[in-house]
Amino acid sequence: MNTESIDFQSFLDWDNSPFILFNEQSKILYLNNSAELLFGYVSKKELYDLALAYAPPSFGHKTTTLSLNYDSFTFYAITVGYENEEQISIRFYNAPRARSITPMKKDKLVNTDINLLLEANIALFKTKNTNTLQLLTDQDLPSFKLDQNGFSKLLRKTLDAFRSSDSIRITLKLLVGEHVIISGKKKAIVQLTIEANGRYNNTDDEIKLLAEQCYTTFLLKENTIKLEIPLIQ
Amino acid sequence: MEQFFTTSEQIQNIIKGFNLTKTLFVSSIIIGKPNIGKKSLARYLFPEAPLVSGKNQEEVERLLQEVDELIITDFEKLSNQESLDLDNKRIIATANYIGNQQTIDNLFAFIYTLPSLKERPEDTKYLRDIFIREAKATLMITDNELSTKDIPVDLSDNSKTLKRTIYTHLIKHSMTRKDIQEAIYSYILDHLNGNNEYKEHLTLYEKPLIEAGLKKYGSQLQLSQVLGINRNTLRKKIHEHRID
Repeated sequence: MNTESIDFQSFLDWDNSPFILFNEQSKILYLNNSAELLFGYVSKKELYDLALAYAPPSFGHKTTTLSLNYDSFTFYAITVGYENEEQISIRFYNAPRARSITPMKKDKLVNTDINLLLEANIALFKTKNTNTLQLLTDQDLPSFKLDQNGFSKLLRKTLDAFRSSDSIRITLKLLVGEHVIISGKKKAIVQLTIEANGRYNNTDDEIKLLAEQCYTTFLLKENTIKLEIPLIQ
Repeated sequence: MEQFFTTSEQIQNIIKGFNLTKTLFVSSIIIGKPNIGKKSLARYLFPEAPLVSGKNQEEVERLLQEVDELIITDFEKLSNQESLDLDNKRIIATANYIGNQQTIDNLFAFIYTLPSLKERPEDTKYLRDIFIREAKATLMITDNELSTKDIPVDLSDNSKTLKRTIYTHLIKHSMTRKDIQEAIYSYILDHLNGNNEYKEHLTLYEKPLIEAGLKKYGSQLQLSQVLGINRNTLRKKIHEHRID
């Protein structure tokens, strides 16, 4: 089959797996959309060094299984390849993300200003703790549909994991350029990040369960909890 | 309209939390010792909401079907907590204690703990002044000379004992000679029976007389002169009534 006249670039552009092509001086020659998002969380140098470290001993392509984690991106393998001295490519394989299979109960969802729930939960947190909190929020976030009681429980548990932490920073924002598909429709994502110098993880299972009930994706790390909430209107 | 006074930062944060979620359908619970203002706080924040006690389980179940805003007091008294559905309603519950932590955790989005009066000296002072004004009005005490600064502050059962001490103190200190005679009359009428009752009831008069006298005059010698009785007689009576 002659494929020389076919332009493959758009297929690569829209591939969900990040793909980057570097030159020999670590300059980026090409990157697809997914790699562009990845660069929001990791430096160019780090990825170039990674490509060099896992490059095949001579011209060709080599796939290595490994576990990589950059913020909410998790990969289980990479393929590094080069066919000349000037260009080297790296492709990342997305690890499957846990997704709730619970069907959405729309009757529980009520149009809500998420900032209200967050502030009320901060007030609750302050009745029990004296830690200082730094809140960075987008007051212009539109109201969207939430299970108010369920989501409040999730917020309480999440904040509670930071009850003894110092320098707690809470960020609430709309994730630009990322979407989640719910019932076949593209929904924007609101991201709530809480980070501190450390946190309790003994209630992580409860947080997971509550997040799943609220159709919220979670990322539980040593010092950080991230909740990605679908903006359903 | 119900008023709620507090200088406690903790309670101000509770009020802030409630005010923020006033229009939302979330369930909240206020937990704290008896008689510290949980119900008053709920009433102050939600003056229009129907109120039901957890002692009346059937009524709670009925109202949960009918209304979407409800105050449930004495929540710890409900025996069917696990089976309640509080989602998509505005529920404000109050409880003296948490029965099952897991159940409360599952049912309520906001779990507030109200500090007791011992932890709120400023609030106690304010409440005490209110109770004194109220007690004076109720007992129709117009005597402005009557000192209230000696009223002890008893917080053993929070506002209940705080209030009760004020009333009993004011009654005791505003009694006239006639009131006292009438009180003794009623007491004796209820208790008089037996064969040594003269001596038995003399205590009612003699014990407070000697105790007050000793406090006022300090020495037995001086008191015997004031009372006009023999020093030995006084000593004998002190011993008889076991006065220290």
